[in-house]
Amino acid sequence: MTAVAVREPGTATVLGRAAAAEWLRLRTVRTTWWCLLAATVTIVGIGVILAYDADDVTASGELPPATAAGEFGVVLGQFALLVLVLLAVTQEYASGAITPTLQWTPRRGVLLAARLAVPVLAATAVGVLLALAADIAAWFIADLAFSPGDVAGSLGRVAAVLLAGGALAIGVGLLLRSTAGALATVFLLQLVLPFLLPAFGVQWMADLGELLPGSGAIWTLLGEPEMTAGQATALLVGWAAVAVGLGGWSLLRRDAG
Amino acid sequence: MISVRGLTKQYGAVTAVDDLTFDVAPGKVTGFLGPNGAGKSTTMRMILGLDRPTSGSALVGGRPFARLAEPLRAAGALLDAGAVHPGRSGRDHLRVAARTHGIPLRRVDEVIEQVGLGPAARRRVKGYSLGMRQRLGIATALIGDPGVVLFDEPMNGLDLDGVRWIRRLVRGLADEGRTVLLSSHLMSEMEQTADHLVIIGRGRLIADASFQEVMRGQGAGRKVRVRTPSTDQLAGALLRRGAVVHPAGDGELLAEGVSAEAVGDVALEEAVAVHRLAEEHSSLEQVYLDLTGDSVQYRVAGAPELVAQR
Repeated sequence: MTAVAVREPGTATVLGRAAAAEWLRLRTVRTTWWCLLAATVTIVGIGVILAYDADDVTASGELPPATAAGEFGVVLGQFALLVLVLLAVTQEYASGAITPTLQWTPRRGVLLAARLAVPVLAATAVGVLLALAADIAAWFIADLAFSPGDVAGSLGRVAAVLLAGGALAIGVGLLLRSTAGALATVFLLQLVLPFLLPAFGVQWMADLGELLPGSGAIWTLLGEPEMTAGQATALLVGWAAVAVGLGGWSLLRRDAG
Repeated sequence: MISVRGLTKQYGAVTAVDDLTFDVAPGKVTGFLGPNGAGKSTTMRMILGLDRPTSGSALVGGRPFARLAEPLRAAGALLDAGAVHPGRSGRDHLRVAARTHGIPLRRVDEVIEQVGLGPAARRRVKGYSLGMRQRLGIATALIGDPGVVLFDEPMNGLDLDGVRWIRRLVRGLADEGRTVLLSSHLMSEMEQTADHLVIIGRGRLIADASFQEVMRGQGAGRKVRVRTPSTDQLAGALLRRGAVVHPAGDGELLAEGVSAEAVGDVALEEAVAVHRLAEEHSSLEQVYLDLTGDSVQYRVAGAPELVAQR
């Protein structure tokens, strides 16, 4: 082959193609569809159960708004979506598929951007739709208050939690590279420790729990534990940024895998 | 064209690749040889920007591979056939590759045909045999119609048909003017396919020469076997011309340091009958063992003696 001067496409084109490939990667493995099924069952299912049990949701016996259905659903159901996002990263390290991936997209910053954008946005979009479905189900089943303004605000909070959680999962996955390790880490930070640490009744443990990303997520969705919107935002954004920073360093600077 | 300059890779105290410098030219099959653990795969990974060199550089078509916008059009590689997501079908794997470069779907089906993957391409990779994985890996390497191809031990685990297929493919790629780098730890494979050899051991360059030069360089030992009824007369004549002659029994002589033509001419001058005349090359395998003898990393105790006896 003689060397021919070929006009190379610009970075925007390369990024667009990498994102399209990332989308195809997501669609062509079964785990994605299993995770979506699990998310659907959990989020809509919890919403429906909450609707049937609406009288007992608040201590005062006051009926919650329909948006509580989607929010409760997402507190648990987010894990199916975060697993989807996480596996998009760690499965490649487990199977060695990261080697061909980096041969096709050797500009690692481009891969990081595509990998951050596509699975996280896909999971967020699905989560928002499922939360909306849960809200509507609750509205029909228990005739809970359903105002478009409330619903829009609630779905915005769901989106914020899933965007931050997804970025955290990508970052942890890129840093640890192992499915088991990354899954355990995200699970602990996002759900187990925020609930578990305050339960010991020891002040410093409770304080520590409130510094975890999951506490910010739970506050955003349920309004607990006691903190300000600024603190919750700082937790969501701060943890996501640190995780993406470390994971991005790992992808950009270390050997492929 | 691949240019490797002073390429070095250290893992802690271990130097896997040690100051390698060589070029891989287009239009030829270049065999990349070395014992297991010599650093072949690490070198290929650095050429492809997968692993970061400790020092030195590697260029593909004059540029670092990791900066290319459309790398599959510059170089395609089969490194580890198993490194594919097991849950995806072979065709989907290729579709993802194609999508990273805006390559049309038609080309995906073309390479599936070219490597003979056929209907299996629609099955999940999980169920593929090693041979099918190798074919998928080669399809992936070829999808961008690259000017450079790198195959790391492509014949490992293949049956004879598969091996012959790869030999023909590799030959064809070189004949089309592409740069072909083919690694192996087996000399016998190279004897069939390679035009040029880059031999490394313990991460260091041992030889970078044409197949013939490598054979000749080692092959002070080119021998000529001649059968004649007049062994004593011919042996005496050859000795006078400076050849080393060994009796080979059964009316045969083995002469070193002369060509077959020279032996024939001498026989004519001496008017002795010649019933057989043949050049005997030392096998490439022997040459390789001689070259890499000191650099085998995982040597079985006692093995050097075995080698020496052969």
